[in-house]
Amino acid sequence: MSNAYLRFWGVRGSHSAPFASHLGIGGNTSCVEIRVDDHILLCDAGTGLINFGNEMMKQKDIREMLIILTHYHWDHICGLPFFVPAFVPDWNISIFGPGIKAANIEEYVSAQMKAPFFPVGTETWLAKINYLPPPQEHCFSYGPMNISYDNVHHPGITYGYRIQVRGKTILYISDNECLYLDKSIKLKYGEVSPEEQVLYDRMNKEEYASEIKLIQGADILIHDAQYTPEDYQKKRGWGHSCFIDTVNTAIDAGVKELYLYHHDPNYDDREMDSIYQHAKDIIKQRKASLICHLAVEGMIIDLE
Amino acid sequence: MTIHPTPTVVVVDDSPSVRILFERGTENLDVNLMIFESARSSWEYLEGNKPELLFLNIKMPGKDGLTFLKELRELPLHKDTSVVIISSKDYAQDRTIANELGAQDFITKPMPIKAITDVVLKYIGN
Repeated sequence: MSNAYLRFWGVRGSHSAPFASHLGIGGNTSCVEIRVDDHILLCDAGTGLINFGNEMMKQKDIREMLIILTHYHWDHICGLPFFVPAFVPDWNISIFGPGIKAANIEEYVSAQMKAPFFPVGTETWLAKINYLPPPQEHCFSYGPMNISYDNVHHPGITYGYRIQVRGKTILYISDNECLYLDKSIKLKYGEVSPEEQVLYDRMNKEEYASEIKLIQGADILIHDAQYTPEDYQKKRGWGHSCFIDTVNTAIDAGVKELYLYHHDPNYDDREMDSIYQHAKDIIKQRKASLICHLAVEGMIIDLE
Repeated sequence: MTIHPTPTVVVVDDSPSVRILFERGTENLDVNLMIFESARSSWEYLEGNKPELLFLNIKMPGKDGLTFLKELRELPLHKDTSVVIISSKDYAQDRTIANELGAQDFITKPMPIKAITDVVLKYIGN
């Protein structure tokens, strides 16, 4: 295996999907490993983190890693109570996520490991846990990786991460509802004056420009694509994208490779294949150069 | 006779069109309108001044409005500053956080000009 790679350990959103009909894509929730030499960066700590931790316990060379959390919804942190390296003394684990100070991260991560919800608390973790305070400029580095973050469109404070390593730009945006304002404007457009309509049009363009800017320059974009158009109609305002909006925005931003991610746990392998075919049709119709994949559990991308 | 100073309304939002909506929404009100495009650019003013009403957008480049409000509330000066959130993020969780941080109101984008006038009048009168 290459010395620099990205691996999907969990690709589902909302909750795990351990059903035979879903396992071609995978049933674990959000967790992506980026490894460069001996440096390990984990994006989110969903149930995918559990298998990753078990794998790490089989080796002896590496004893350090950084976990960056997009936010604290369960599907992004529920692997931590079962993450074996955290319970072993010689490990050194840094954790970063939204908050105004390091103590906030500790508070949010610990909250799920309290009675009556869980039998042991984070005080039973024997590894050295280092909660990182927010940096002044929204960027920091970890070994050869430069990491920056921005807030995205999802309930509560949620980050999207930009990771630059080995000359590549990787964007990890697990939860983000594309084009939400666009749809809000369409709903209210008929009720306002012509002057306000002009301003709403302008506001819509500004918002789209900021969505494009967020993902521009990505060699690899891992992005929320949770819903089909039919389900998005029912679940607009839940903080997730319709995959069609994700694909079109990625094309408009000039992204090189898109990995559709945070798959709905209700979609089996057949439904996911239909989403993938539809995504490829959009790219073909628009004569775009975007390369699109479904994120699949166990998939490895070479970063060399 | 008591002379009341003109109340100051501060808006922190990166959107130029929101700036115009606020200028139109307050043009007939006797208020001093100050608009900043980010949490960072507003800091120098807010660190030493308490406006009568503060509007904060949530999703902005750099620091988000809710995180910024949490930091402002840690300053004694802004412990009880009147705050209204303006955001396209029409989510229950954002409203809950805003409420917990003592925001008086939550306006979802896009908002008509009249909604701005009404909320300014509601919280500072004229």
